[in-house]
Amino acid sequence: MPDIPLPPGFTAAKMSQAQKAFEAALGADKVFFTDLDRVGYEDKFAIDDRRHHPAGAIAPISVEEVQAAVKIANQFRLPLWPISRGKNLGYGTSAPELAGSVVLDLSRMKKIEFDEANGVVTLEPGVGFYDLYDYLQQHKLPFWLSTPGNSWGSVIGNALDRGVGYTPYGENTKNFCGMEVVLPTGEVVRTGMGAFSKAPTWGLYPFGFGPGWDQMFVQSNFGIVTKANMWLMPEPESLMGMDVEFDRPEDLKAMVDTIGPLRRERLLQQSPSIGNWLRAAAVLTTRKEWTDKPGALDDSVIDAIRKKFNIGWWGVSLRLYGREEVNKAAYKILEKAMTDIKPMLLKPTTWVKGQPQEYSGWTGTPMTFPMQNINWYGGRGGHIGFSPLLPQDGSLALAQFQRTYARYKEFGIDYQGSFAFGERHLINVNAMIFDKDDAAKMAKIDPFFRQLVADAKAQGYGEYRTHLDYMDLVAGTYDWNGGALRKLNEKVKNALDPNGILAPGKSGIWPTNYAGERKA
Amino acid sequence: MSRIAIAAIAALGFATVAVAQGMPKPTTLVDRPNATGGEKLYVEHCAMCHGPNGMGTGLLGRRVQPALLEQRSNLAAAYVIMAARRGIGNMPPITRGEVSDADLKQIADYLAAGPHLPASGAAK
Repeated sequence: MPDIPLPPGFTAAKMSQAQKAFEAALGADKVFFTDLDRVGYEDKFAIDDRRHHPAGAIAPISVEEVQAAVKIANQFRLPLWPISRGKNLGYGTSAPELAGSVVLDLSRMKKIEFDEANGVVTLEPGVGFYDLYDYLQQHKLPFWLSTPGNSWGSVIGNALDRGVGYTPYGENTKNFCGMEVVLPTGEVVRTGMGAFSKAPTWGLYPFGFGPGWDQMFVQSNFGIVTKANMWLMPEPESLMGMDVEFDRPEDLKAMVDTIGPLRRERLLQQSPSIGNWLRAAAVLTTRKEWTDKPGALDDSVIDAIRKKFNIGWWGVSLRLYGREEVNKAAYKILEKAMTDIKPMLLKPTTWVKGQPQEYSGWTGTPMTFPMQNINWYGGRGGHIGFSPLLPQDGSLALAQFQRTYARYKEFGIDYQGSFAFGERHLINVNAMIFDKDDAAKMAKIDPFFRQLVADAKAQGYGEYRTHLDYMDLVAGTYDWNGGALRKLNEKVKNALDPNGILAPGKSGIWPTNYAGERKA
Repeated sequence: MSRIAIAAIAALGFATVAVAQGMPKPTTLVDRPNATGGEKLYVEHCAMCHGPNGMGTGLLGRRVQPALLEQRSNLAAAYVIMAARRGIGNMPPITRGEVSDADLKQIADYLAAGPHLPASGAAK
């Protein structure tokens, strides 16, 4: 039997005592410490399968049980790694940053409350996008979700990691309006108007009085979010837009410079994402159907794939939401702007309430289908992504693409890239699809990722979110004034979590007692 | 797959997707109001990937038919449990925190008793 992974300074006997304490507090049916349990909570898409192994997991079902677990963790100085549903594929799934941590699995906390008058839903962390989608239909509630490409996961978990969707509510973390949080020392706090007893405005005004703390608990290890209010988009009267394809890599510049101003002006209120041909092709087909040549695909193969599916080098979907008359007026402006930059294909789409609806990300429909891309190379597929933040500037985006594409070719990896719009920024998602059964190719992923981090750093571009393996690396790139932000984060961490029991290492934030675990 | 679906995938691809008029509605419990026991648990925990437009259905469809698990007649309960707990191919493991042993047994028994017709008609 393999040894149980243990955190630094721990013994197997002490872990066994902690396990018994969890069983006494929660019940044995919520405590999971078998070898098979440990495998289940490892990172399915790990680059290095030897890292991030948990000691076990526990699954509390209430705030009180979360508090009980935190109390035990403090008693034993045992690190906990909270997950909402653990479907953060590509970023670590359910695995902890620090090996030997116990996963605090909140997937059984699935309560939903809905304020229909205001379009505010109060969710526990175990509620997935499909659960909420089902709830809206069961109760005939005219609201749409904002769903990510992998909608298997938790609604608030996704927002807590700054995941995105594609409707006007697509920057999901901005939809938080008040949270309930268990602090690392066990106290429960409510943020915003939740701090005001019986306030009917907890889900309506996000800031409360004094400092607003919601974002403090996003991508952090400062507390365990056990409940959160989120705003949902009322179902619009009309949805209009277009799917647009462009023929040449160089067209990226004009696309960004045309869409960006429309987004900043808010004529476009959703978050478009420009993606390359492989983003589509990897869902539809596999590499082996086209070539058995090693290295990055050459242009002849790319041309053949594009011809087969009639797709551009880049594609983007643009959608307008709201009143039909307003959308019709905005559509004319959008159509002229896109036609002016000469797309190879422009396909209009229109919908009004009452018509059959398209089941896509633009209507907030949950989906898992896009994850078929991990089968591109065959074998046990997976992916990670390197996603730096850029300004909405076509020349800068094109230069970033050209620099990155050259690196993909250098490392012999097929390029899958996209440029997703926020209101003022672009997220340049560079997906690395891999086959875990191909050891030679797997060995390239880590040096390739590190090269991309260095290249982006040289341009001033930092990542918005990253895999467990790179949290320290990326945190290190946020280095202004001697890394003042990290020092602040760790000062807060040590104040809130004196025993360092909550998610040590998350986002590169290490409590003093585990500071030696920081990686290069 | 329809041209519209391909265009939409091209536009959103990895990050999102699928699409448009050509894609079916995801199957959730609202589509199976009479589902109980293993069927209900299957829809709740498995249909997001193994429903009509799920990742699991899409990938299985490349090498086995029928791709929808509810239409299979050759799934042994023990095999379903092993695949779920250990993961298989591109499918991640399903932990006991997410689906208890008792619930997984009901799901496995339901699939092993297949093929099934949906209890209340196909997904809308």
